[in-house]
Amino acid sequence: MLRKVALATLCVAAFLAGCAAPPDKPEREGFEPDGGEATGKESIRPGTDTGPAVLALLDEARGAAKAGNLNTAQLQLERALRIEPDNPVLWHYMAKLRLHESRWKEARSLAAKSNTLAGADKRLQADNWRIIAHARQGMGDERGARDAQATARALQPQ
Amino acid sequence: MARRPTRKRRQTGRRKARRPSRRAAVPRGWVRRYWKHAALGLLIVLSAYVFYLDLVIRNRFEGNRWAVPAHVYARPLELYVGMPLNVRQFTRELDLLGYRYAYQAAQPGTYSRDGSRFWVQTRPFTFWDAREPAHRAKIVLEQGHIVSLTDPTSGASLSLLRMDPVFIGGIYPAHHEDRVLVKQEEVPAMLPAALVALEDRNFYTHHGVDLRAIARAMWANIRAGGTVQGGSTLTQQLVKNFFLSNERTLWRKANEVVMAVLLELHYDKPEILEAYLNEVYLGQQGKRAIHGFGLASHYYFDREVGELDLARLATLVALVRGPAFYDPHRYPKRLRERRNLVFDVMAEQGLIGDAERDKARQQPLGVLDDRPSGITPYPAFMQLVRRQLQRDYREEDLTSEGLRIFTTLSPVVQTEVETALAHVLGRLDRRQKLDGKLQGAAVVTSTVGGEVLAVVGDRKARFAGFNRALDARRPIGSLVKPAVYLSALEQPGRYTLATPLDDSPVTLRSDAGDTWQPRNYDGKSHGVVPLFVALSRSYNQATVRLGMQLGLQNVVSTLRRLGVEREVSPYPALLLGSLSLSPYEVTQFYQTLAAGGFHSPLRAIREVLAADGEPLQRYTIRVEQVVEPVTAQVLVSALTETMRTGTGRAVSHWLPADFTVAGKTGTTNDLRDSWFAGFSADHVAVVWLGADDNQPTGLTGASGALGVWGDIMARIPTRALRTPVLGEIEYAWVDAQTGLLADRRCPEAAQLGFVKGTTPTEKTRCKPSGRSSAVDRTVDWFRGMFD
Repeated sequence: MLRKVALATLCVAAFLAGCAAPPDKPEREGFEPDGGEATGKESIRPGTDTGPAVLALLDEARGAAKAGNLNTAQLQLERALRIEPDNPVLWHYMAKLRLHESRWKEARSLAAKSNTLAGADKRLQADNWRIIAHARQGMGDERGARDAQATARALQPQ
Repeated sequence: MARRPTRKRRQTGRRKARRPSRRAAVPRGWVRRYWKHAALGLLIVLSAYVFYLDLVIRNRFEGNRWAVPAHVYARPLELYVGMPLNVRQFTRELDLLGYRYAYQAAQPGTYSRDGSRFWVQTRPFTFWDAREPAHRAKIVLEQGHIVSLTDPTSGASLSLLRMDPVFIGGIYPAHHEDRVLVKQEEVPAMLPAALVALEDRNFYTHHGVDLRAIARAMWANIRAGGTVQGGSTLTQQLVKNFFLSNERTLWRKANEVVMAVLLELHYDKPEILEAYLNEVYLGQQGKRAIHGFGLASHYYFDREVGELDLARLATLVALVRGPAFYDPHRYPKRLRERRNLVFDVMAEQGLIGDAERDKARQQPLGVLDDRPSGITPYPAFMQLVRRQLQRDYREEDLTSEGLRIFTTLSPVVQTEVETALAHVLGRLDRRQKLDGKLQGAAVVTSTVGGEVLAVVGDRKARFAGFNRALDARRPIGSLVKPAVYLSALEQPGRYTLATPLDDSPVTLRSDAGDTWQPRNYDGKSHGVVPLFVALSRSYNQATVRLGMQLGLQNVVSTLRRLGVEREVSPYPALLLGSLSLSPYEVTQFYQTLAAGGFHSPLRAIREVLAADGEPLQRYTIRVEQVVEPVTAQVLVSALTETMRTGTGRAVSHWLPADFTVAGKTGTTNDLRDSWFAGFSADHVAVVWLGADDNQPTGLTGASGALGVWGDIMARIPTRALRTPVLGEIEYAWVDAQTGLLADRRCPEAAQLGFVKGTTPTEKTRCKPSGRSSAVDRTVDWFRGMFD
């Protein structure tokens, strides 16, 4: 349990840090239910039009996540969302936090919300579909998970 | 009781036996013989009593000394470049925070201003995640936005500035004792010094009781022929306030003395002084008792105790002697004299110089006329907060543990909503000759995450009576229709916004043989109309026909998904809004539409902290997708048409023509309820107007509630809706007559969303005269389906 929490915390810290994600196996077929690294090779970074206030909050969120304080990381993301409610990357990060907390339904919804704002950003959409795939698998919907993963691949062939 | 007569009989018997003739002498003999026993007994009883008092004191001092009410705060204002905020709103927030205008903002809680440029020194504040230190910032506003946010010292730009939150009220126990606890190090050193100088000069040397002071007071009282001076030490005063009643008896005085000595035995002087600073009674506001310097400082001067200057501090010290006798509003002269006496004593004791004293004597009292009420100025919102808290906390925890509740209330939005409601409602009331009977309620939430920003439950927003926003359940009329049309649009193979609907008269028969013939509001039938027109113009006949085709259970299930938790009966009248909901419940329903099909439970609380700042609970944003986003967006495009050309078109009185919003009017039978629900990109707002006795008001949704709604949207900082870029949706201009593709320049063309692949393909030529060439063919096709 402790390992799981530690791993989850590390992953979230990595996501929010916007740095290179832990090495991902190319062309993954299956899923690792406890999160692991669901996404493509690199984490999604905030868009270039992201304001300095939100970037500052993301910094704080990153610090909190690194320290293992996911609750505070979540709070900073919510503050950021109040400033830029249409920023799809913020919703994407929220979805990832929920995924790591195994709150599948919320993770799926948040990823879907991010997709409604993602516009033409196929990479972000693909990553959101990967989150949806994980969430569906977490809820026992294997077929739905495969479909979501296929959508992700179609959007962003690896 | 049973033993006493027995003893008496025995004593009487003895007396009779020894000295039958001299009864008065008997007790003396008895005393002579038994006085040692009696004294011993008395000593034992007294010791036990002192022990008991000691226990009482220690129990009270070791545990939580005070029941501190929960204190409730608004959302903190977070400033950043680009934030929508105008000068009026910012100054109001500073006012509500009690920030003082100063020539140079150097102290926390002060600001200076030059036009739309502000220099602010914020107060430090402990939030859930961190303690925000005091910041200095220069803020420049232009055209309703922050255009610059910098550190005035270095000139460096600041990315974000979180201010301290406005205090909006407390949750009080039954005795209404209120206080803000302070530590001695938070209090200016001059305050305890002045207090000691005035009330108890020998505080640091006596052991709870000051015999010299008592003698001095007695002498003064004898000379004056009445009580003019008290000899009580601060310790005695604390004991009196803490443990004893106000009655003036010898017994109480004796208790006071014993307890004061005991208190001094157990606790050191600073601890006793700190308890005194927090306990002392300093004022009364209605039922609310103001205790301690921390709260008194807020109550009389609206500032932190650490921000008190010499004059204000002396005023509070003067009040200690009798807050009612020296009431600053009723007896300002009396208080001023007493305050000046404080200065004199302070100078005499060397605490201040003579020059300082003379200058201070000239200062006004500085007590606020408009005192911040512990009884909240936002009763409707506070009621919502209490209800949400009561799910997770016990009443006694709320009223005694000093919890700090951080809510979602935006004082900026709340003030604008109150103003809009009062303003429009007053005008309508006069116009409709309703003699002040017209009532109203409004709720505003943020589209993201469903945070409740403002709640008004009465036309007099400060009145803490019946909260119509939460508790007035009224039939919602046509507000229900988006749920009917959404149910249709969820079958994109069957329905689009251009699908022709039949608006001819319709008759429904129940199993019992009753008939129901709903009519359109204008009493006319409109023939065949595209689906979006039936919605935007709120045609009843077309809606009922559509709802019956879809199935009532289908509509009920849609309402449920959108967030209506109340039991909904699947009767046909549901389709025209026979369902009764409160404005708050309607807000939840429209919130889901505004958020593009994502349901977030409405929240009034963000975080709860313990008295010492320890985080207890957080209420996070929760989001659940309940409608396909593309379907929700298609519906929203039709609801924007309602505002452009349909029943909400009068909104153009308040908002610019290119400012896109979406919404729906609602009117109930005989014009009893006037509703409007709608949203911009950032806000959802719901307004209800009506009379408490349910009598007709003569107002429709459009002629009543829409006016308040439009005024709210025009006042609050909000953004227009934008057309979302979704892969599965495409937008097309469609003719309102035929539902066919039209040129955007056509007089009745509307831009609508369609699920890809369902957009009409046939194009119509519009004519200025109205009907286009393809219309008859469409009607024929439609009739062919149903005849």
